[in-house]
Amino acid sequence: MSRRRGPAVAIALLMAALAAAGCGLGPGADVGSVELTVTREFGAEPVLQRSLEAKESDTVMRALEANADVETRFGGGFVHSIEGVAEGERGGDPYDWFFFVDGVESPVGAADVELKGDERVWWDYRDWSATNHVPAVVGSWPAPFTDGIAGKPHPVVLECADGGSACETARDALEREGVKLSSGSPKGAIRMLVGPWDRLREDPAAQLLEDGPGESGIYANFVPGMRGQIELLALDEDGAKARRFGRDAGLVAATSRYGGPPVWLVTGGTAAAVREATDALDAAHLRDHYAVAIKGGKETPLPVKAQ
Amino acid sequence: MRSPFAYKPRRGPLQDASPGAAVAYLGAIVVVAFLYLNPLVLLAAGTAASLAGILAGARGAVRAALRMGLSLALLVAFVNALVTSRGETVIARLGDWPLFGRVDVTLEAIVAGVSYGLLAAATIVACAVYSACVDPDRVLRALRPFAGRSALTATLVSRLVPVAAADAARLRDASALRGPAAAPVGKAPLARRLLAGSLDRAVDVAATLELRGYSLGAPRARNRRSRSRYDRRFYAAAAAVLLTAIAGKLLGADDFQAYPTVAIGFGPATLAVATVVTLSGLAPLRRPMKRRALHAEVARV
Repeated sequence: MSRRRGPAVAIALLMAALAAAGCGLGPGADVGSVELTVTREFGAEPVLQRSLEAKESDTVMRALEANADVETRFGGGFVHSIEGVAEGERGGDPYDWFFFVDGVESPVGAADVELKGDERVWWDYRDWSATNHVPAVVGSWPAPFTDGIAGKPHPVVLECADGGSACETARDALEREGVKLSSGSPKGAIRMLVGPWDRLREDPAAQLLEDGPGESGIYANFVPGMRGQIELLALDEDGAKARRFGRDAGLVAATSRYGGPPVWLVTGGTAAAVREATDALDAAHLRDHYAVAIKGGKETPLPVKAQ
Repeated sequence: MRSPFAYKPRRGPLQDASPGAAVAYLGAIVVVAFLYLNPLVLLAAGTAASLAGILAGARGAVRAALRMGLSLALLVAFVNALVTSRGETVIARLGDWPLFGRVDVTLEAIVAGVSYGLLAAATIVACAVYSACVDPDRVLRALRPFAGRSALTATLVSRLVPVAAADAARLRDASALRGPAAAPVGKAPLARRLLAGSLDRAVDVAATLELRGYSLGAPRARNRRSRSRYDRRFYAAAAAVLLTAIAGKLLGADDFQAYPTVAIGFGPATLAVATVVTLSGLAPLRRPMKRRALHAEVARV
């Protein structure tokens, strides 16, 4: 009798182990809704927008292929074209498809990114002559503060440097979205730095801004203006100087240092400019933008169009 | 025991046809298999090759090739299902595996694997029919005017499979004759012995060819065998298959997409190509001889 039971017990144990390891038949259970956005030109031209129910087996690539006309290369791991728009050169500039999950550039291919539910997946077709590496963007607000990175929750830290009332505005904006702020410097925290640029630039991650888009992924810089005051300078897609916003313009941008968690910069040349920036911490101002310059309550997506 | 793939002299249209005609005919079927990914057309190519082999009397070669080809097709489908996680229709989630990463078995990956497997199976069957029905010596003779100095290579290429198969059969017989108490011979030692034997044979062939003055020049016309009355039939079948395949390709008969969802075309163009390719398998069909032709054949023999 026990000899007969042996294989059955072994099979039952194997099945239990497989089930525990996340194995199973079919696509699996629903894990939640996922927002899929496809745009061109740094988010300026919408291509498609879908809200879909993700299942356990879904990946970013599977979600895209199910909702758009996609051509792939290299065994299905690399997107060649979406809705007929293919990688290549346009006007002498290299163009390609890039994607962000919850506002963070993925370090792996779309076929290897599993969907956990409640993500915002953003595909954008852009000119990458200035940089092919934009580590983080602000266009998925309130992600990544609400959902963490790659489906894993991360602590969120708000760091104020002479931010004054702007710091409170930023805290309110985050808490309004349900973000629980941590204190101190927990490991792996997603940070939001709020304050005038001459203070923020002391932070090593913020300092990347001054090294250009190739290092920070941010198409903006702060430069000395007339009377020695700091002014916000917007760059174009090629990383060239394009437009001065003056000292009263604020900046909301995101970067990352050494592949670490995203660091958001909410800053400006003056305290008033910082207030302008913190007032723009909402989806209406930030949605589908890499970064924004704010002046007079009106946002200008970055990079700006070349003149 | 003789290998089913070894050439066996028989009378029949495919065996009697000149090597060029037989190679063109079987080659056309292989070309179709490589041109198309639509499983229906690939199935038609495999059917045509099998039919040709059966009609040519190489039933054993077809059976062995089908067994080998379909096993390979299953293996390809299985491996593709494990290494490719593309496709929308997830059948099973197998978790994370070392080397493979996350493994999702999808219907699309299985269908793509079956398609590649059918390609391999059709090619194997066509090659098996060639090996069993086309006299390698005649192929060599046909090649000699074009590549006198490549005699060794040509000989090895055309004789390798039948000679290795015959060697394997002899080695198996010898092993069986050692008695029931003798340890069985594994496949690896047998393959090693065959490889070593093939190198010996290559040297022998080179020496023999040199002694015969093979590289001195092309033979005179008297050594050439006259063209077969079946040549026209096989050239016509090859041309029909190739032209239909190319025209079908231009007309979209290869309508097949595995990813992200399976879409197999069964349109008129696909059906037409599949029909023509399948019917081409009837080319080796032996027609009943007319009385006058029969007399002529008897007189010739």
